[in-house]
Amino acid sequence: MSIHTIEVLVENEPGVLARVSGLFARRAYNIDTLVVGPTSNPEVSKMVIQVNLEGHSLEQVIAQLDKLISVISIEELVDGAKKPVKDTQPDYQN
Amino acid sequence: MTTQHVPTANGTAMSGATSLVKSLEAANVDVMFGLPGGAILPAYDPIFDSTIRHILVRHEQGAGHAATGYAQVTGRAGVCIATSGPGATNLVTPLMDAGMDSVPLVAITGQVPSAAIGTDAFQEADIRGITMPFTKHNFLVTKAADIPRAIAEAFHIATSGRPGPVLVDIAKDALQTQTTFNWPAKIELAGYNPRITPDNQSIADAAALIAQSKKPVFYVGGGVIKAEASKELAQLVELLGAPVVTTLMARGAFPDSHPLHLGMPGMHGTVAAVTALQKADLLITLGARFDDRVTGKLSTFAVSAKVIHADIDPAEINKNKFADVPVVGDLRETITALIPALKAALEKSRPDLTPWNASMQKLKSTYPLGYTLPDDGSLSPQAVIERIGKISGSETIFTSGVGQHQMWASQFISYEHPRTWLNSGGAGTMGYGVPAAMGAKVGAPDATVWAIDGDGCFQMTNQELVTCALNNIPIKVAIINNESLGMVRQWQTLFYEGRYSNTSLESKRVPNFPMLAEAMGCVGLSCERPEDLDATIEKAMSINDQPVVVDFRVHRDAMVWPMVAAGTSNDEIMIARATAPDWDSQEL
Ligand SMILES: Cc1ncc(C[n+]2csc(CCOP(=O)(O)OP(=O)(O)O)c2C)c(N)n1
Ligand SMILES: [Mg+2]
Repeated sequence: MSIHTIEVLVENEPGVLARVSGLFARRAYNIDTLVVGPTSNPEVSKMVIQVNLEGHSLEQVIAQLDKLISVISIEELVDGAKKPVKDTQPDYQN
Repeated sequence: MTTQHVPTANGTAMSGATSLVKSLEAANVDVMFGLPGGAILPAYDPIFDSTIRHILVRHEQGAGHAATGYAQVTGRAGVCIATSGPGATNLVTPLMDAGMDSVPLVAITGQVPSAAIGTDAFQEADIRGITMPFTKHNFLVTKAADIPRAIAEAFHIATSGRPGPVLVDIAKDALQTQTTFNWPAKIELAGYNPRITPDNQSIADAAALIAQSKKPVFYVGGGVIKAEASKELAQLVELLGAPVVTTLMARGAFPDSHPLHLGMPGMHGTVAAVTALQKADLLITLGARFDDRVTGKLSTFAVSAKVIHADIDPAEINKNKFADVPVVGDLRETITALIPALKAALEKSRPDLTPWNASMQKLKSTYPLGYTLPDDGSLSPQAVIERIGKISGSETIFTSGVGQHQMWASQFISYEHPRTWLNSGGAGTMGYGVPAAMGAKVGAPDATVWAIDGDGCFQMTNQELVTCALNNIPIKVAIINNESLGMVRQWQTLFYEGRYSNTSLESKRVPNFPMLAEAMGCVGLSCERPEDLDATIEKAMSINDQPVVVDFRVHRDAMVWPMVAAGTSNDEIMIARATAPDWDSQEL
């Protein structure tokens, strides 16, 4: 299936949504839905993104996202549970 | 986490502007290139008293490329500074350029006062938004107290991991407000922790794969230069004894004079380098990124090769080409770890590379880079560039613009050392040459610095020669004057039936380059006849107290060969118009 859900923890700072959505736009990754909310840590926000891969690899989407300094961590959600993302790109979690 | 030295000024009361300058001093900045204006003006007052040398440019684009030239020569972060709005947008091209070529750059811009942000205030531009796509990171600082941390983080991000440009936009009121200087003792960024040491398993896998390969080739990219890994690379190459290619960004990473060096791959690469990648059974990729100018049509690139891909940026792995063995980490550490691992693997089994090396050497000798002299006895652009390289020697630093002259400068100058060839590879920025040479000369004042520039490129950024003349930065500029946008003209010759729409610059008539040079405080020379070539270059070499500009008036129709036309396969490389190598006589 080409639709995946990822949970992204980001620094809660002005412009962070633009950083993430801008990355998706310029690399031609499709966002089906995006929800942003708080976490128990006021300095960290949580984004839940449904990405429609359409030919891109999830691994590459995650690796590019992880290059954003404001992105702290990324996990894939499968049936509501967190799944470790396939590690073909070693250490993309930094 | 990174710890850093805490300066004595810590805890002292001062303005945000002074804290900016103290921060730059704490980051060990010795020079910056910039031009003031209203929003950044508070910072220029303490700059007046600082030990940091500020070089006043004539256009902010010049400041950006100069900072890049400085960074590429020294390996340290280059620094440029500009005001808000148009000052900041003039930095956009150099920042994009630095992003494409992984250059550590810190750009500081003034912003309108924080209360005015979002009101379309005078000289307001959302430079953080504009530069988001191509900076490694950027900051908008609206409080004086946040300045030192932002600057410290900017330098840390720019220079660590895969280097890149970082912009710090500072609201004017943050510069004007009183604060207490507080340079952070440590930098901790939750979302940034680049992997430096490669994991042992990937090193072992890489060594095992190399030890099985009968046709390996080292595909060397600019990352080797950034990682200062040339010495280690040379040891690795000696150990395996396999051929090497160096990309446009890697020229100088491995000596051109080495017999195993096949030259540059890609669109204007040598037949041997292009073919080595195509026919290899293993690409040992070191700090290169499978750019389309190297791979040609990707689906036909190196189809039978396995791939080892070593890079500090995990996002490069599997981006364009699948990597059988990815190795993420600093290249110097990677190569250093690979040497003993490969030694051990080769002791167990050592494939015979002789047939592979012999066929590559045969290609290299059958299809050397070359050019034909113009029939009419006029000056050959390739000959000009080749002679400049020979006469000025291998310690010289070269920069170039973008176009035919750039490709010839990459092809016909022999590079023996890293950081002696500076050009705009990923972005292809016309106008890079002169300001980058200025920055290079500031970073390496004892070196001879030549900008090999095009007549088109030169007309984009030559104003920085005024900066050079006034600040004792005696660079040398060779204008390869073919009176046209030559590279574009070449494509029109080949793909548009010779319909030369808007590529004639008439620059043998206007401008008068030597007079323009003299007007900017430089020595202006010109050369039109082959018999005057060496004497003119020697004259330029003898002038070291002023910038020199030489107008080399060359034949207009010379073309860059070999060529793999855009979008076609590397297998379709042409050595001259409609002329493919004679593959039948080669055993590959
Ligand atoms: C800023 C910019 N504009 C346009 C181009 C497209 N372009 C690539 S090479 C070239 C010609 C450059 O002319 P010149 O500096 O005279 O170099 P030549 O090819 O003649 O050696 C042009 C217009 C570019 N690379 N950069
Ligand atoms: Mg030209």
